[in-house]
Amino acid sequence: MTTLRAFLAKLLAKSRTSPVLEEPQRFLLLSIVIGIFSGLVVVCFHVSIEYLGWYTIHALPPPPDWVFMLWPAVGGLVSYAVIKYWVPTARGTGVNYTKTAVYASDGYVPFRSVLGKFATSTVSIGTGNPMGPEDPALQMGAGIASLLGRIFHLTKDHMRLIAPIGAAAGIGAAFNTPITAVLFVMEEVVAAWSYLVLGSIVLASVSAVVVSRWFLGDEPLYRVPGFEFGDYSELVVYAIIGIAGGCLAALFTKQAIRLRGLVLGLPDWGRLWLPAVAGLAVGVVGLYAPETLGAGYGVVDGALHERFRWEPLLIFAGLKFVTTAFCFSCGTPGGLFAPALFIGAMLGGGVGGLASDLGLSLGGFTGPFVLVGIGTFFAGLFRAPMTSVFMVFELSASYQVILPVMIANTFAILVSKRLQHESLAELAAHQDGLDLPSIEAQREAPVMKVEDAMRRDRDLVVQKDLTVSQAVQKFDSVGSRTLLVEIRYGQWALLDEREARLAEETEGKGDQSIHEALRIRSVIKTHPDIPLDQALRNLGRYPLMPVASRVNSSFMVGTLQLEDVHRAYGINAEAGPELLKGEPPL
Amino acid sequence: MSTRYICRVCHNEIAHPGAECPYCKSRSLIAEGASPWIISIVFAVMIVGFGLTAIYTGNFRADREGRGQYHFARAKNLLDEELPDRAINHYRDALLHSREDSAYRLGLAEALFKTARYAETRTHLLELLLEDPTSGIVNYHLAQLAEREGSLDEAATYYRTSVHGRWEDSEDASADEIRRRIRFRLADVLEESNRAHELTAELVELLKGDPASSQLRHRLASQLLDSGAYNRASEEYRTLIDQDSEDRNALLGRARAEFHLRNYITSRTHYLRANALSSDEETSARIELCNRIIALDPTRRGISLQERFRRSKALIERSLAIVETCRAPEGSAFVGPLPPLPPDLVPVVRGAEAMLAKRSRVAHDETVEENIQIAEEILAHIDPHCERVEPVDESFALIMAKLAQ
Repeated sequence: MTTLRAFLAKLLAKSRTSPVLEEPQRFLLLSIVIGIFSGLVVVCFHVSIEYLGWYTIHALPPPPDWVFMLWPAVGGLVSYAVIKYWVPTARGTGVNYTKTAVYASDGYVPFRSVLGKFATSTVSIGTGNPMGPEDPALQMGAGIASLLGRIFHLTKDHMRLIAPIGAAAGIGAAFNTPITAVLFVMEEVVAAWSYLVLGSIVLASVSAVVVSRWFLGDEPLYRVPGFEFGDYSELVVYAIIGIAGGCLAALFTKQAIRLRGLVLGLPDWGRLWLPAVAGLAVGVVGLYAPETLGAGYGVVDGALHERFRWEPLLIFAGLKFVTTAFCFSCGTPGGLFAPALFIGAMLGGGVGGLASDLGLSLGGFTGPFVLVGIGTFFAGLFRAPMTSVFMVFELSASYQVILPVMIANTFAILVSKRLQHESLAELAAHQDGLDLPSIEAQREAPVMKVEDAMRRDRDLVVQKDLTVSQAVQKFDSVGSRTLLVEIRYGQWALLDEREARLAEETEGKGDQSIHEALRIRSVIKTHPDIPLDQALRNLGRYPLMPVASRVNSSFMVGTLQLEDVHRAYGINAEAGPELLKGEPPL
Repeated sequence: MSTRYICRVCHNEIAHPGAECPYCKSRSLIAEGASPWIISIVFAVMIVGFGLTAIYTGNFRADREGRGQYHFARAKNLLDEELPDRAINHYRDALLHSREDSAYRLGLAEALFKTARYAETRTHLLELLLEDPTSGIVNYHLAQLAEREGSLDEAATYYRTSVHGRWEDSEDASADEIRRRIRFRLADVLEESNRAHELTAELVELLKGDPASSQLRHRLASQLLDSGAYNRASEEYRTLIDQDSEDRNALLGRARAEFHLRNYITSRTHYLRANALSSDEETSARIELCNRIIALDPTRRGISLQERFRRSKALIERSLAIVETCRAPEGSAFVGPLPPLPPDLVPVVRGAEAMLAKRSRVAHDETVEENIQIAEEILAHIDPHCERVEPVDESFALIMAKLAQ
């Protein structure tokens, strides 16, 4: 009995302090928990937006025009006031907020920002402002993940990774597309990832989507009819849609950021009223084109079902472009995900329909062009090529759509990048005083490789039957502290200068061959295609490394030592880094 | 498993309890990981969250369904009031609240069809078809759409699928009755697109249903007649005549069917009966034609052998007359030598002329048959050479066709 009591007491004591799972297991389990919680919150977020819409712009019976027109203004004013006076942490875009958590605040996202984002975005979008719920959902997911990470006492390294996991869960639940959510986070938020991170993001995203579907049904955001993409001559039209989407995305970025800069320069009292002004503009536009109000999923769905001709589609794209840019610049809470999809879809349908009327495409339908256009503006705005392609693929569940979408989105990104180098999120971060790393820049930065630094001669290689005296002379002639000794074909070892001199001067072994007289150290080889920073990690232990061919690993194509790396990076080891041309000295 | 300790302030790892954090110099620490208590609390919160969300979304779904039904009811009323444009808006609103509801989508498609927005109608119907390819109503609407757009083949396919598709009894008609109506529509489309064999098959299927209404049977018999199913058409008309011996349309229909079957005597009988009820020029002309054909027929029962022989000789004479017409299309106005006969026709014509010249020939069954064969042979040889393929006399052509049969 005493033994049992002691055992139970020990178990209880252990349970209060000790972890019950290994770190990776705990991390994966936590990802599922994050996904579930994010899914629950995002479901409630969606429902709240819809409920509010039923009492405002979609009320039954329909409100008088002047009331209808005022709702977005009221929503903009209230939501901005809440942010300004109660939850300033709910300000800004979710992507930048999550990146800040990853790169600046060790994964810390205050839970207050989750509540703030929930409330303000509900009010803003529910009253008809042309913003989307996906970006706030992303930020809410990151906030929930951060809270759970703190509750589960994660280490600093894992805390930094927890916010993107929550972000993937949030966006997955909001958009009902798990693959898109994973890809978006990997393209926009985390640059470097391991299998643990990837697995966690996938688990969180999938569990969030499962929860969302459990409560809201497994209907995709848009019901895509079964389109036929049979005529390859239409690929030209898809390319034109991509170019148009890219141009419009670049224009949006330039104008929205310029306007936002002007707004940020205004005094506080003036900024408070701007979302109301923007909301009023949205209301006035909404009186004539109610399709431009809110996230606009139903309108895109209608366009996919041939509801509109190309003329109204282009008008909707233009109006949504203006109202969204205005609201974003004025600080109206909400995201750009849904409006970007709306503008792209309308533009695609408009351009495609026009092309049909001009005889450039067959069939005379606009639906397929709407579907292809969905991702173009998004791709140009967020610079997330994989996400934009997979998003349309996931939405349509059509393999045929892949080729047109790839063509259109590639053109959109290339054109957008050509016209506007930095993405909207980066520019907004700069305006907010944040210097966040650009994932796109990191992804596309040229990687220095071993072949860019290595010596291609064999000056630092000696044969094993060389005498110690000859080796010392070699050291004097090449000015290196280490040499590579070729033991046999394809096998090398390191010879240290100090040991050679010691053997010659004090031990009198000058006439003996080096492999008899000296202790030579084994060395690992590297290859020309290895990234230089990876090779650099080994140079501390092996000051001189043979660079072997990938085709024939016994064949040495060069040697690599620290001096070579310095030279490649433009560092003069004695004088310090070289100044860039034209840069004035401090 | 060893316990790790981390700084409560900066979340860096600390060597042991009581050690100072090397990063923030804090001595406040926590054991890494969550204890079972924390996990239990988190899971409890999760369950509570599930419960609350279920209640919230349950209410939401019920409200949404209510709003969807409100718009759907309004849309149906507007559609009944022949205001499809306004109905469309309400159908769209209903669909926004419940996109997976096929009744809403079908209603929208019907309203769109009424306003001639065919492209949009098609996308909605195809989406419904994708969900349920066996739906009779969806296939029916798609058929109507295809028919309206002039794609009769496509329309026939959809009508056929609709006939074999899933239907439920409605207040207006039973599922079988709906199927029969659609099959009639299918028969019309097949008739319009000149697909006679398929039409016959459909009509036969319709007849299996034993249509009670004489109007329906009239329609079927007429379509059978138009599609070339003369035997079936004649049978149907006979049934109709049995039901009402003074049904002029049935008498005329039977007469036409029998005429096509080359039963000219029966045909004439029915034309005469119809004419007795109410005469018109066309019927009289048909009676006259029947009379001429019957008068030419050497195989008619009840006539003497001499008469049969005379008629068979008359057929040879008429055939030779056609040969002459072919050689001199201008007839008596032609002046000059006639063009020579085609080489393969020469022996046949010479043989026929010789046969006619033989006065000593005795009338018996073999000579009658021989004469008929000669006449047929001449006509068979004329066809490739004569530009005027159509015989001058319709009654002669018809009797020769009957004899060839």
